[in-house]
Amino acid sequence: MVGDFLKDCHVANDPLDQSKGQKQEIQDVDSFSRANRLAMKKSALIAGSLSRSGKRILHLDPNEYYGGAEAALSLAEAESWASRCAEATDTAVFSHASITKPPPSGEKKLLSSRAYSLALAPHLIYAKSNTVPALVSSQCHNQLDFQAVGSWFVLDSASNAQSGLIRVPSSREDVFQDTALSLKAKRGLMKFLRFVANFEEQTETWHDSKDTPFPAFLEQKFALPAASHGPILALTMSTAPSSTTSTGYALPRIAQHLRSIGIFGPGFGAVLPKWGGLAEIAQVACRAGAVGGGVYVLNKAIKEATKSEEDNRITLKLSDAEQVSTTWLCGSAETMQTISPAPDASSGSSATVSRSISVISSPLSALFPSTSEGGVTPAGAVVVVPSSNNDGPPVHILVHTSEAGECPMNQCVAYASVALSSDVGYAQIDQAIANMLSNFDQEPTPEVLWRLQYQQRIPAATDGAVLMDGSFISLPAMAGDLVLADSVLNGVQQAWQSITNEDENMFMKFTSRSEMEDEE
Amino acid sequence: MTDSTTASAPKPSSSVKLVLLGEAAVGKSSLVLRFVNNDFQPNKEPTIGAAFLTQKCQLPSRTIKFEIWDTAGQERFASLAPMYYRNAQSALVVYDITKPSSLVKAKHWVAELQRQASPGIVIALVGNKLDLCDDDSPEDDAQDGENVDGHEEEAVRKVSTAEAKAYADEESLLFYETSAKTGHNVSEVFTAIANAIPETSLKGPRGGAGGGTQAAISGGGGQDSSRVNLNARGDAGAKEGCAC
Repeated sequence: MVGDFLKDCHVANDPLDQSKGQKQEIQDVDSFSRANRLAMKKSALIAGSLSRSGKRILHLDPNEYYGGAEAALSLAEAESWASRCAEATDTAVFSHASITKPPPSGEKKLLSSRAYSLALAPHLIYAKSNTVPALVSSQCHNQLDFQAVGSWFVLDSASNAQSGLIRVPSSREDVFQDTALSLKAKRGLMKFLRFVANFEEQTETWHDSKDTPFPAFLEQKFALPAASHGPILALTMSTAPSSTTSTGYALPRIAQHLRSIGIFGPGFGAVLPKWGGLAEIAQVACRAGAVGGGVYVLNKAIKEATKSEEDNRITLKLSDAEQVSTTWLCGSAETMQTISPAPDASSGSSATVSRSISVISSPLSALFPSTSEGGVTPAGAVVVVPSSNNDGPPVHILVHTSEAGECPMNQCVAYASVALSSDVGYAQIDQAIANMLSNFDQEPTPEVLWRLQYQQRIPAATDGAVLMDGSFISLPAMAGDLVLADSVLNGVQQAWQSITNEDENMFMKFTSRSEMEDEE
Repeated sequence: MTDSTTASAPKPSSSVKLVLLGEAAVGKSSLVLRFVNNDFQPNKEPTIGAAFLTQKCQLPSRTIKFEIWDTAGQERFASLAPMYYRNAQSALVVYDITKPSSLVKAKHWVAELQRQASPGIVIALVGNKLDLCDDDSPEDDAQDGENVDGHEEEAVRKVSTAEAKAYADEESLLFYETSAKTGHNVSEVFTAIANAIPETSLKGPRGGAGGGTQAAISGGGGQDSSRVNLNARGDAGAKEGCAC
């Protein structure tokens, strides 16, 4: 089929030429010059940026949907996804997947499958990050809707329900008004917040302690009692136990959180892409790629890739036995390993994360207080549940309102994760969700209407790095981080530069073409 | 055009995503060009991949800003359309009234939309090239830039209004016959779509009472209170966070 397409394009070349200097005629059937095998968000971004840089792109995806490991799924799609992942081995990216549908006890029920768009990658994006400028300079933000992630909460599992859900003060005003803090703790907290604001310049305070566990640093340098650590640790979004979260890791992350606040509006600093997290960014990148002339094919995989010694071109054998020839081949590390002789990148250690996606029968409105008068209504909240014995990793729950476009009104979606394998992780997640829901004193009691749980394998320490072997480019899977890391885009840029040889300042800079200009 | 009247007082404004689908050379891009620029190109080249355009449509009570995704009808792999109809609130499925096979293809698109797109998507079925069947416009060369074969002889209507209308009624589609060349009925189609988008869905998220699951509209104006404007970067008290 791809061959047919190429031939047809070639045939169609003449009328194209006449009409006007179309951007990208195919000059030669056999030199479809850049075919890139792509299956995920990074791939989508690369394909989009290359397509708009005048390269011929063939975007193949073995799935029936876009987004790969960062897709957004309806209930029916999630069910078939889960049954595929249930059969996967432990070495697969996704495994141990299962879906639970408790019979609803109240009146609230699940609606139709397509009323849901559940995100496999519901990442937070901070205003102070490299992603945001790239989305703006590439015009992609015109196609995307971003919503505020308003409040952070710590769920204290030790204390009784009702008072267990504590909102993290994120501004000076919040700290002053917080009645739970002692005056001494307030003073220490203020001192700490002032320090973080420009911690880079105060190396004497923290450089020697950068490998020190962060809680110890807070205690030693700022006399902050252990009871006040939870909220500060929550802002790091560290998936590691507090005892192994180092000061050098925590400080820049808290700084990113605080410095992001106010950039897009008062009282919040992180945003989420509406309609299913990173899946939406991948889709928008694909649309941009298609506008640039890229060819998109779903439901087709690469069986085999062989490189010719003579002309350095790669021949791809596709799942329907067709062949395509290309100069570059770019794809997720997982697929690249199965089809190409590229060096085995992720043979190193890898970590596992347990995740769940729960549809909740209540909007849980208390999690989404307005962060400022007249400001935007938050669509996201973060609930951090520290490990009960304090030496395990915390459970993070990202809760999205129906405004995020992922569930019907009067429900919400809770995305939970913990850096543990499924044998122990699932139980901790379930407990954390149950604890969170028990804090809502309302009738009927909020309950889980539908739940998907799965285990995800995270490559160790290759986040963002692009591994290249000649014309093979391998993009490692995303890290377990719940915050979209700058390294993701850096990896995309690295791949883009290798292929285009263009100046880095041109990366993701697309002029607004007349078609895309608004009359406004 | 529908947008020629300027409202004296600001009306609520909402964006509506619209995707154009249909067989190659039925005139999808020409319909958009007529709607957006009030223009017509006799020998328009085929759309490669997709194109994106916007146009406002003034209704008495509100302004609808169409975000139009025009897809390539010659697309071989049927892999492109899913990324465009995802989260689209409306679709315009086009066929050529002189070409019965294009109505068959249109029916396939309608079925796919009903199966895969947002529940509650507003679909309009449009039979284009009405000018080719008008007695007073004999020449048929103009409309069909994509079809290099051209029509044999004077094109005549091959799909009756009654047949297409009956199908549209059965599937609850809006239905119009248009001419992108003369402009006949073009703005009417878009106005009808704008009117058919339920007011409630312009505010809230998808879902709502009784399983009516019209997808939400992301307000381009002040309508959607949860939308964050990335262009606001740098404004609005960036100090609030880091100065504490």
